Amino acid sequence: MARVLIIEDNERLAGLIADGLAAQGHVCDAVHTLAAAEDALAATSFDGIVLDLGLPDGDGVDWMRAQHGPRPPILVLTARDALEDRIKGLDAGADDYLPKPFAMSELAARLRALLRRPGGRQDAILSLGNLAFDPASQQVTVDAHPLDLTRREAALIELLLRRAGQVVRRAVIESSLYTFDEAVTPNAVEANISRLRRKLEEAGAALELHTIRGVGYMARVRGA
Amino acid sequence: MSRPPSIIRRLTASLAWVGGLGALLLLIVIGIEYRISFSNLGDHDAFVRAIHELSEHVLLPMAVLILPMALAGRWAIKSGVRPLIEAAAQIDARAGETRGVRVDTTGFPIEARPFADAINRVLGRIDGAAALHEAFAADIAHELRTPLTLLSLELDRLDHPDAERMRGDVARMRRLIDQLMLLAQIDADHAAQIAPMPVDLSDVAGDVLAQLAPIALDRGLRLALEADVPVVVTGRREAIGAALRNLIENALRASPAGGCVTVRTEAGGLLAVRDEGPGLSADQLATLTQRHRRADHASKHGAGLGLAIVERIMRAHGGTLETSSEARELRLRFPSAGASD
Repeated sequence: MARVLIIEDNERLAGLIADGLAAQGHVCDAVHTLAAAEDALAATSFDGIVLDLGLPDGDGVDWMRAQHGPRPPILVLTARDALEDRIKGLDAGADDYLPKPFAMSELAARLRALLRRPGGRQDAILSLGNLAFDPASQQVTVDAHPLDLTRREAALIELLLRRAGQVVRRAVIESSLYTFDEAVTPNAVEANISRLRRKLEEAGAALELHTIRGVGYMARVRGA
Repeated sequence: MSRPPSIIRRLTASLAWVGGLGALLLLIVIGIEYRISFSNLGDHDAFVRAIHELSEHVLLPMAVLILPMALAGRWAIKSGVRPLIEAAAQIDARAGETRGVRVDTTGFPIEARPFADAINRVLGRIDGAAALHEAFAADIAHELRTPLTLLSLELDRLDHPDAERMRGDVARMRRLIDQLMLLAQIDADHAAQIAPMPVDLSDVAGDVLAQLAPIALDRGLRLALEADVPVVVTGRREAIGAALRNLIENALRASPAGGCVTVRTEAGGLLAVRDEGPGLSADQLATLTQRHRRADHASKHGAGLGLAIVERIMRAHGGTLETSSEARELRLRFPSAGASD
């Protein structure tokens, strides 16, 4: 799967994270300083970075800010949960933020979501349970059987899949699925979700689309 | 109990003494000057002349001097003390604040400055000590995070029936650390005097519910938001979000399986969390918000420091945490925007 660079000065922690991510099928390299991280990034390309903020040879936030040009998505780990630090980290270019302590399943889920994001591995096939989505052809397959979806339904499922396990706000769906000159009735999104839900169910997909009333929608693998 | 000393009373007494002594001295001087002796006073004409002399040379000058002096003295003292009284009122008006309170010495008479400055130095030292104490608590919480992460990850690799229970313990420790850090953050924000910003409660509620939805679904519970219009208050968005998160987490714990936790906003600055649990009486709420004063914070409700923190955040916003056991709601009531300073 993906090649991940772990930058964490606590060697035991770096090892545990690497083991955990390796069990998820990722290829991991662990380094303990920013200097070593620079060397690793110069030598190979990575699909994602797991970065601890407090490192012996510098601050992770400053390092992120100094990064120019295309770089892999960064998941920041930090012992500082101060809200200001969180905002500062995201401003400096972190793509997501996970406060310590965390469970391996949490880290793996966040990293998965990060790798799925546009700008991450854009062209990769998104797969969740027995469902797969090809962003290039906008084709959804369940157990390798193609699913017949409208363009809007396909766009909707892509949006939800890229953030699987997280809630996508209704306003985000409305603004990305409908243009200004098209009137969005309050039920339009819900109607699309219902149709999509029925189609997924009929095809036997393990994917569930949850409605969080008044907030948005979330795609998850059943029982996960 | 004797009455506390008063500058005005003391001035009046001093002037009375000055008047009395002055009158006596003048009497003696006039007596010597006009050779008036007590033996002459038997004569009626001499007595009248003496009274006349006395009122002209003693009583009149005394009255002319003492009365304006008394009035001027009273005025000087009153106007000199007024900045002190105003400063006291200002300090009282900030009764909700425990940190960063200082006596404003502008307009203070120079005589009162040393006292006010000494008080300000003490207040500064107390603030410093409190900040140090909080920073220490935050440092401990911070230092605990890495070992706790190690513990958590090691437990993840453990395939033992007891591991699940231990994971639960780690999760509880983690929540406590988060709450400690949050408390430190509230105090730090307060100390830094960060200006409040307009915050849309409906938008905050949407964000927090989106974050907590996966956890709720894991527990077989549903979340819902009833907030169609923006409800804007002034405050700190992250702190309000943290308060709401605490309330929702409590509601999720109190809800029976399959239950729904509903958040709603109301015009005028109300954020309410409703669950299908037994509800909380005003007395229970009062006990739970006081829990941080005691060591046994591991309550049966599992609220921990949660409600005490919510109460503190609301206090910092000039609002209140209320309960309605009939509606099974906990409510965050903010002063409506514009009405607050």
